[in-house]
Amino acid sequence: MKFKSQRVAYLFFATSLLLFTLQIVFGFIMGFAHMGFDVLHDYIPFNAARASHLNLLVVWLLSGFMGATYYIVPEESDREIYSEKLAVVQWAALVIVAVIAIIGFHMNWWEGRKFLEIPRPLDYLVVLDILLFLFNVGMTVWNAKRFTTTVSVLLLGLVSAAFLYLPGMITFESQVLDSYFRWWVVHLWVEGVWELIMGGILAFLLIKLTGVDREVIEKWLYVIVGFTFLSGILGTGHHYYFIGAPEYWLLVGGVFGALEPLAFLGMALYAVTMARRGGMRHPNRIALFWTVGCGVMSFVGAGFLGFAHTLPQVNLWTHGTIVTAMHGHMAFWGAYAMLVLAIISYAMPQMTGRKLFTGWLPEWAFWTSNVGMIGMTGAFAVAGIAQVYMERKIGMDFLAVQEAIEVHFLGLVLAAALLSLGVGMFIWNFIQYGLPNDEAVTGA
Amino acid sequence: MLSKSQARMFFFGGTIFFSSIFILLTIDTLAKVDERQNVDLLTPSVIRGKEIWDSNNCMGCHTILGEGAYYAPELTQAVSRRGVQWLTIFLRDPAAMFPGQRRMVDYDFTDAQIEDVIAFLDWIGKIDTNGFPPEPDLRPPAAPVVASTATSASRPAYFDEVCVACHAVGGKGGGVGPALDGVAKRFSEEELHRWLADPPSVRPGTAMPNLNLPDSTRTELVRWLRTLE
Repeated sequence: MKFKSQRVAYLFFATSLLLFTLQIVFGFIMGFAHMGFDVLHDYIPFNAARASHLNLLVVWLLSGFMGATYYIVPEESDREIYSEKLAVVQWAALVIVAVIAIIGFHMNWWEGRKFLEIPRPLDYLVVLDILLFLFNVGMTVWNAKRFTTTVSVLLLGLVSAAFLYLPGMITFESQVLDSYFRWWVVHLWVEGVWELIMGGILAFLLIKLTGVDREVIEKWLYVIVGFTFLSGILGTGHHYYFIGAPEYWLLVGGVFGALEPLAFLGMALYAVTMARRGGMRHPNRIALFWTVGCGVMSFVGAGFLGFAHTLPQVNLWTHGTIVTAMHGHMAFWGAYAMLVLAIISYAMPQMTGRKLFTGWLPEWAFWTSNVGMIGMTGAFAVAGIAQVYMERKIGMDFLAVQEAIEVHFLGLVLAAALLSLGVGMFIWNFIQYGLPNDEAVTGA
Repeated sequence: MLSKSQARMFFFGGTIFFSSIFILLTIDTLAKVDERQNVDLLTPSVIRGKEIWDSNNCMGCHTILGEGAYYAPELTQAVSRRGVQWLTIFLRDPAAMFPGQRRMVDYDFTDAQIEDVIAFLDWIGKIDTNGFPPEPDLRPPAAPVVASTATSASRPAYFDEVCVACHAVGGKGGGVGPALDGVAKRFSEEELHRWLADPPSVRPGTAMPNLNLPDSTRTELVRWLRTLE
């Protein structure tokens, strides 16, 4: 790393991996419950496990994005972080919110709105935390001599994400409006401004890992995030088909939802083309694996599998079934989880000075976790399609259907075990790098 | 070939253009949504029901309007599917209705809270959802009713609202309890009365809950059950 203060990213990365591990644990609890072994029902009922699973995901990804930002911004802006202390305070606030939220869920303290379960008082703490973060990053950039396109796209993504958290804090008496504006947060995050963050981080990684000219990479960054908003903003309509919103959303959501894969196809082509143009020569092959893998898997999970049930004619039957979980798992994995793992893989040797780039452990971590996730997606797909036919098309009773598809959750749990093994290897490799140290600082 | 400044124009131009359309459509949606959601039916009871729904994270297991988790049934049409009576009994003791099956957390709702939750679900069911949830289009044709037509006319409404969740007659109904075809051959009128008044006292450990039936409903049920020979 160029600057000493970049080391603060380590705190965020380590937190990310810890919360990711916890997220997987809650995932297993739900997988077993679906198989008929709801043994923890009295302590961790399904809705508590579910809220924890979702919110841990959101927090560990945000923590990863923050770590990535603290690593990238000094390097791109050519100066130390405005205040390293503030970064640590802000990290602590994030952890406190996460811990209180997860404990609260188990004591029936929540808002009960999918993805936004964090209770309202904690929302204010989240806002405060984000403001601290943005202030710190903003001051770093403000006083810098250099302001790159990569940083501007990343910052625009972060600021918009903070801004779009607010519609989720309005109280509605009507479930229809509640749902309508909840998607302003959830959809416009993951299929909108988070893609700016993703684009920014990918661009940084590609600049570093491929040696392709910055101008070329940043030009295509604009094109890709342009496609994101072109399709993603009106694509919100694919959540408005059946919640009581007017009928024209079937058309608007259908057309623009169908265009959404283009942005992810762009990400995939972008990563693959730039990596090939660079000749895949960078010594940190593992970071390159995760970077290119992120582009490709985001297209498969978010783009292709999203397209599979975005059309209103299909969604009428699949809406609210396990088919959604099929798409959701690989989409988050490909687009965002792999992205965070990519920046961690790139940054760790730089921060610790331990130039151990390859080896069987990180390579197996990559392949095992990906094969595991593909298996999980397959299990969800079979369970989901079976559910759609039995429950929605034939009209069988809900519980009878759930019993019939229990076996697919055995498949899910086995595949998830493979994923966990891969993630475990990744974490072990992470620990082996040790802590960031001053000797690794190379100077500007 | 595309220059960087053109690419930037494409990004900012497209973003501003599509955001504006999205805002306009949202304004239009807000104008139209009151009629589609029957805003005049949005009573204080419905709003209290939503609060109960949210504060217990019901969406963490159920879906409503197709949104939520996939561990428990989709509830958009719960009231039209099950009826108020069944839902009331179920919510008083969620574990009793489907013994040995997937469990719902017992929230110890008061009767007033149960009323509010059902009012909320009832309001949800009346929203114009563009056809969700769809009617099953591959449903096999219903089995012919076996009970003789002369007596089926007096089949109590209560039976169709509550009992069929667990018991089948003529192949239609749930499989939790035994099918009731020919029940008249097995039990006398008095036995049926005693059983329905309080099943667990007749056979401790039975899966059938005490439904606290009013005498008139019990009499009506027993009279009809006695015709199933």
